[in-house]
Amino acid sequence: MPRPSPVQGASAFALGLSLLSAQVAAAQPCPTRASWPTTDWPVQLVDRATKAEALDALEAYAFTLQGKDSERLGFRTDGLVIIKRGVIVYERYARGYDVTKKHLSWSVAKSLTSALVGVAVKEGVLSLSDSICQHLPEYEGSPRCDITVKDAITFGTGLSWLEVYENQSYQVSPTIAMLYGVARADNLAHILSHKAIAAPGARWQYSTADAQLASAVAKRALAKKYDRDAFWTLLFDRIGLSALVIEEDAKGTPQGGSSMYATPRDFAKFGFLFLNDGCWNGERLLPEGWVAASTTPSDVYVATLPAEPRPSGYAWWLNRPLPAKGRPAPWPDVPEDAYAASGHWGQRIVVVPSEDVVMVRFGDDRKGAIDANTLIKLSLAVAR
Amino acid sequence: MSRAWLLGLGLLVGCANEHGDPRTYDNNDLELAVGNAARSGCSCRYVMELTEAECRAWVRASPDVARVSFDDAKRRVESTAFISWTAAARFVDARRGCVLE
Repeated sequence: MPRPSPVQGASAFALGLSLLSAQVAAAQPCPTRASWPTTDWPVQLVDRATKAEALDALEAYAFTLQGKDSERLGFRTDGLVIIKRGVIVYERYARGYDVTKKHLSWSVAKSLTSALVGVAVKEGVLSLSDSICQHLPEYEGSPRCDITVKDAITFGTGLSWLEVYENQSYQVSPTIAMLYGVARADNLAHILSHKAIAAPGARWQYSTADAQLASAVAKRALAKKYDRDAFWTLLFDRIGLSALVIEEDAKGTPQGGSSMYATPRDFAKFGFLFLNDGCWNGERLLPEGWVAASTTPSDVYVATLPAEPRPSGYAWWLNRPLPAKGRPAPWPDVPEDAYAASGHWGQRIVVVPSEDVVMVRFGDDRKGAIDANTLIKLSLAVAR
Repeated sequence: MSRAWLLGLGLLVGCANEHGDPRTYDNNDLELAVGNAARSGCSCRYVMELTEAECRAWVRASPDVARVSFDDAKRRVESTAFISWTAAARFVDARRGCVLE
């Protein structure tokens, strides 16, 4: 088994120290709530008369269709749900969707996958400093064994991966090849066949491969102790997200970077879990400190400082400025503690702790690209 | 040299610069078209539970050459393009959704 590089070693040491500190310090109590939406959310919609201006602005922005539906122009919102203090205060569906319909997550799935890694850490079946090969023994001896679990959830594997989709030639997209083409039968083999263009932990690059790898590792690690439904029994069933669908390739590798489905109300429960520090109804489901680490810019992001100005933690997108690097917060009209799971065609789960808000927007923006700053700003105006 | 060829070469060089690896994948557009239509059609119909008409709109891609047929009894979707290109996806279960065969 290759040893971690000095950088990874230092990182693993620091993580070990922080976990030790967390154990020595008094356990962080779980937040309390009047109710938990395990079965369903309480609903108390904002009054249309008193919130008319904010509602009109939000709906004009999110729900105004351009042209014919078949032209796929502009923003095409399928569902929008806003939760304030644990209560649905706004909810609307369009284009054939309703409260019962599941929606494709696209890359929102990456944030759920990183949480599943957290569950595996809490269960003691893996640690972030583990080589991926400790959990994928068929790749033992591969040069890719330098990659750690933490690299996989921070977009830091260093694998060459051109993250493009239908907007470029299909022949250069490893993601399209993985989902629909030559690599569809065995996603793991496809991912790990890619060359390294940087040492693991040294270069940030947004990649569906990294998240897919993380979901495979989490599944295999949990399989040492639990059955194949461990993702649900240990996490999703407990927060009322039992209906979540996670698609797999033909070999059973979960497509945790792209292919999950749930209703907007159910995806909001996942945001609510993070809003409550990984706790649910008094029970800690994610390791102490996991939410804070997930929502802090990762070392590899800060070191790489990619052109794309969206700081990320454990596959969450953060509205954090990086003043030392001259980077402002990416959503200037939104509180800096906001963070989001984000996916292709405008899928979003947004958490704003300072306002006790979770917002979920699912859509089908094939040709448009809804602006996160505007959408969150208008949603918060409704919730306030 | 055609303009399209030059554009393709430019893209590959761009990829090589940024990602270190001008890798291409041995897919052709028809294979991807039927793969996408079968898989996305299956997920749309049997996971998202939209109507057949909505799912035909959902799977439409460029080039728009794939035709889909839904077998609701078997929860299976077949896609074809120009007769010889085919793909099929089936619903596995309520937690794992659809998989390409």
